Amino acid sequence: MKAKSLSICALTLLLCALTAVAQEIPTVLPPGVKVPHIVLMSMGGTIASKATDRMNINNYGGKGLRVEPQEWVDALPELAQVARITLEDMRPPEPPESAQGAPTPAGVGTTFEQLYKVAQRLQELAKDPSVDGVVVTHGTNTLAETAWFMDLVVNIKKPVVFVGSQRPWTGISGDGPLNLYNAVRVAATPAAAEKGVLHSMNQNINAARDLMKTSAYRVETFKSNDLGVLGVADPDMVVFHTEPLRRHTFKSEFNIASLPAKLPEVEVLYAYTESPGHLVDSLVEHGVKGIIIDGTGAGSPAGGQGDAIKRAQARGVVVVATARTRGGRVQDTPRRRESKIIPGDNLQPEKARMLLQLALTKTQDPKEIARIFDEY
Amino acid sequence: MRRAGLLSLIAFFSLASAVHASEPLPKIGLFTTGGTIQSKGAHRLKLAEYSDGRVTPAELLDDLPELKKIAQVEVHEISNIGSGGMTTELLLKLAKGLNESLAKSDVAGAVVTHGTGTLEETAYFLQLTVKSNKPVVVVGSMRPWSAISRDGPLNLVNAVRVATTPAAIGKGVLVLLNDTIHSARFVTKNNTTRVETFVSREIGPLGFADSDRIVFYRAPLTIHTAKSEFDVSKLTSLPQVDIVYGYQEASRASVDALVAEGVKGLVFADSSPAYGKAIQAAQAKGVAIVQGDRKGSGRVLLSERTAGRGVVSADNLNAQKARVLLRLALTKTTDARELQRIFNTY
Repeated sequence: MKAKSLSICALTLLLCALTAVAQEIPTVLPPGVKVPHIVLMSMGGTIASKATDRMNINNYGGKGLRVEPQEWVDALPELAQVARITLEDMRPPEPPESAQGAPTPAGVGTTFEQLYKVAQRLQELAKDPSVDGVVVTHGTNTLAETAWFMDLVVNIKKPVVFVGSQRPWTGISGDGPLNLYNAVRVAATPAAAEKGVLHSMNQNINAARDLMKTSAYRVETFKSNDLGVLGVADPDMVVFHTEPLRRHTFKSEFNIASLPAKLPEVEVLYAYTESPGHLVDSLVEHGVKGIIIDGTGAGSPAGGQGDAIKRAQARGVVVVATARTRGGRVQDTPRRRESKIIPGDNLQPEKARMLLQLALTKTQDPKEIARIFDEY
Repeated sequence: MRRAGLLSLIAFFSLASAVHASEPLPKIGLFTTGGTIQSKGAHRLKLAEYSDGRVTPAELLDDLPELKKIAQVEVHEISNIGSGGMTTELLLKLAKGLNESLAKSDVAGAVVTHGTGTLEETAYFLQLTVKSNKPVVVVGSMRPWSAISRDGPLNLVNAVRVATTPAAIGKGVLVLLNDTIHSARFVTKNNTTRVETFVSREIGPLGFADSDRIVFYRAPLTIHTAKSEFDVSKLTSLPQVDIVYGYQEASRASVDALVAEGVKGLVFADSSPAYGKAIQAAQAKGVAIVQGDRKGSGRVLLSERTAGRGVVSADNLNAQKARVLLRLALTKTTDARELQRIFNTY
């Protein structure tokens, strides 16, 4: 036992010296059996959070209550049968003061600086011939945004699977362990390649583009808006039923390597009864380059927004409409074309925002931006 | 194939821009079998009881002059019945008719009208037996053609639009109602009366027939149509396969009766302790056994124990679709391992 842990230490040291970032976990596979090499990258999240007792499943995390990536693999020796795992830690630094008791435990603090770092690292891993796939953990609140950003800016054919959990790693009936195990299985599945950035929780496989968190606490929270799962991670096998048709990863015209240091600023405004125009004006005054109106019904601005949008457009601000119904496309109608509001397809506003930010790095032309919204 | 796609592409854009009036519109075969979409009620509030006459294919077209701007519709009347009366003979006639029509270079696609009750079975049968990449769209309606706020006209227009859409090529047999495009493999009727009845549980639709355009978000990955190994061109019948439902204390009597009747295969929608011995007796007489489920979504997992008993897992096919596949599979093999390969593939 002691000798074994010593040799593991030695191996770990050796590999640390070789790769600096990655840390190799020894496998217990019979000699001669090769399993895919999967990089398990932590961006934190509920899955990387602890609480002081297992009944605490809604008020966890914070200083001293983070799960180190090594703890995941220690808790899941079964992973060794599925993949050779190397760990990478892309979490933001631990907050100085205890954040325990904060209403939203994880993911809320994701910044573009972090998104860029992760995208750059994924792009490196895409080129690394020793890597077969990547699993990224993330807090569930903004997981779909991060996954979609990677879907748009990382040129990769290998499986990239985002995963999280609804209950902390220490929670009773925690969903994290099976989610993590299944995410690695999906990333190790050849059929998962070239399908864009994927998400796997609750035994389902969804596409980053359509992924949406639909419940605050339930383990079945993630759905594909309007659509359905691409496949399932069942106990017997990983099965893909459909493939996404919109442009992604290796088919995307956007790439992390060619993005400006800071993306054009785009903000989201919700539409509702008498939603005021002055919010639009304030954003324009602030200097935004684009506004997403999360419109009523089929994507209509409401209240004072209509007139304010005209003022914004006159100052060169691009306006895209999404539908707050969370289901159904915003259509290309003559009236909308006349209003020069670009249809946001069936994207959620936070995802339309990222796409518009990227589109604005290339063009201001409404026709060209509309093309981008049709293709991604 | 490529030529037809190009033709329909040109036709599609000429429709969209409404300029090149000289371009020929794509030719679409309208194969009518009947159903609620071809039913009439005594008055327009007859939404549920509507056996007051049938709507002929000519009446459908007369009611929809808008179709003339989208396609040249060529009618092939197969039947005019409710879908509960669909027979193997009619299914074979339909599949052969579609194959003959779609083989013609000037035909861009096909639309099939069908009652909604067993629409998913016919659509899946066509998914397995149509030998073409051209779009085949199965359509129906929840309200009769004579009803107030009937859904049939828009469904039929949208079905023809989808059948002329280049993006629909190679996606297998499609089912269209309520603006939503489903794969025949995944779709099922989910509600007795509502217009949004058709859903693809878990998996979701492939796309939508919106007013501005047809949009596809997904492509199915199971093998279908042009790549299917099943060929019905020389068949005049199909092996008899029946379905046995599973529930508490279900008796084995229904299994025994079907075996005595000479059934070639059985699909179990769930199980019952009493079925174990009955299945062994059926297998001894050469009856193929497929284990399905009654829950409506999720796969029947592959297990060594099930395979060891010579029982085939139905994947996530519902019992009525597993039956369609088993009938076709039994035209090729009775070997359980080979049957399992087929169920894993389609």
